[in-house]
Amino acid sequence: MNRRHFLAATAGSIVTATVSACNSYGPGGAKSLLRYAERKNEQVERWLFRSGSRNRVAADARLSGRAFPRYFISERMPVWSEAERGVWRLEVGGAVKTPLSLTLDDLTRMPSVSQRVDHFCVEGWTARAEWTGVRVSHLARLAGATPDAQYVDFQSFDSDYHESWDMESAMHPQTIIAYGMDRRMLGPGHGAPARVHSPVKLGYKSTKYLTRVLFMPTRNGGYWSDRGYEWYAGV
Amino acid sequence: MGEASTESLGSTTADAASTARRKARPRHHWVVRLTHWVNVIALGLMITSGLRIFNAYPKFARRGETFCCYPFEGTPLPDWVTFGGWLAGGRNWHFAAMWLLFANGLVYLTFIYLHGEWRDLAPRRGDVRDMWEMIKFYVFVRRDHPHQGKHNALQKATYFSMPILGALAVITGLAIWKPVQLAPLTNALGGFVWARYWHFLVMVALVVLSVVHVIMVFAVDPYSLRSMITGGYDPTTSPEVRNARPFFWRRAVPVTPSTDVGGQQ
Repeated sequence: MNRRHFLAATAGSIVTATVSACNSYGPGGAKSLLRYAERKNEQVERWLFRSGSRNRVAADARLSGRAFPRYFISERMPVWSEAERGVWRLEVGGAVKTPLSLTLDDLTRMPSVSQRVDHFCVEGWTARAEWTGVRVSHLARLAGATPDAQYVDFQSFDSDYHESWDMESAMHPQTIIAYGMDRRMLGPGHGAPARVHSPVKLGYKSTKYLTRVLFMPTRNGGYWSDRGYEWYAGV
Repeated sequence: MGEASTESLGSTTADAASTARRKARPRHHWVVRLTHWVNVIALGLMITSGLRIFNAYPKFARRGETFCCYPFEGTPLPDWVTFGGWLAGGRNWHFAAMWLLFANGLVYLTFIYLHGEWRDLAPRRGDVRDMWEMIKFYVFVRRDHPHQGKHNALQKATYFSMPILGALAVITGLAIWKPVQLAPLTNALGGFVWARYWHFLVMVALVVLSVVHVIMVFAVDPYSLRSMITGGYDPTTSPEVRNARPFFWRRAVPVTPSTDVGGQQ
């Protein structure tokens, strides 16, 4: 076997091994490598994160209106039924001094913000709307989140949908519990009675049909994060 | 300005000359060869996983709006050009392979800067004219291969553009990865929708240049394939010596002192 044959045989075996190890998902052994990359990327993303960052949309910008996609994971659109479940309440608990249980009226009486911002979907599309609601940081202050609160889990009544966040992103001034969209009360297609909305995370992190804001010392994964999507998902 | 004078060349036997050739400096330094092939893998992963992500929403328009400048809005690309299997898979590969592409590009650029190889690629006055002469030669308007250095003018322009396009891919990629944390960058590119479009166009340019590059390697100078693997290259097989046009070239023949003798006319 001369050098040329050796090189050709080596190249041939590498190609064969690669092709046989790969389906369109990539070689199975790469999974741990991809997980490692995700952990490293999270460090970079947290380093890039600034609580002073803002997403700004021009005041005269066109809003997406009815073209704003509706989306939920349950078979039917989740609608809170007072007859079955009683009055809807948002529970704020976990690593806090005083847990809260808020009705929609309680929420709407709190200091509110209205913001025209982009919505960044993991699929690559963006949409614009004007969201009205209460800052998550305001709820954290009100409930007295303890230093133990390093993560926040946003839970819903849309089957078992939830997504947990890092504290810094949850405390970002543009991260809100929204009950209004485009100057109307939130509709059931967009997560009524209330949902998380923020331009600093991809759309799937913004839990709709919200029931519970749980401050936690550890992260709690999430519906899509547990299914292969990036947990941090910062924008 | 070679060290080897005609005198010393003339005094060696054919055997000694070929030994000298084999021991000569490789045409491409091993760092260049290594980064070239790592780049093939990294760029291949980035493009195919990127197209997998693109297929999740194969258009550019913001919801409720239209986009002026992409004729195939809404048409997904065929699965065989994509990698990652599904959106999350494509994203995970994209955000991992980007470090390979970035680090490899950095090693390559640092090397050619420190080692002087950039001189073979940097544009010079007269390059545009030389490119035009190459085109004339390729379409049989000009009879003789234009005189060239390590690369012809068209190659030079291509190899010089690739790292620039790579840098643009990184910059436009950052703009759509972090449109809020890096909002000034995204805004400078015209906002998220346009930044995503530029990212896509840079990819198209990289694909076009790479495809033409591979075709030209086989159609004009297959001998260069060896030079990018082992580094070995016989100058007497260069396209200039062979007067090689795409698909029109002779196998290299041993050097003869004069080619003027011949039966034309």
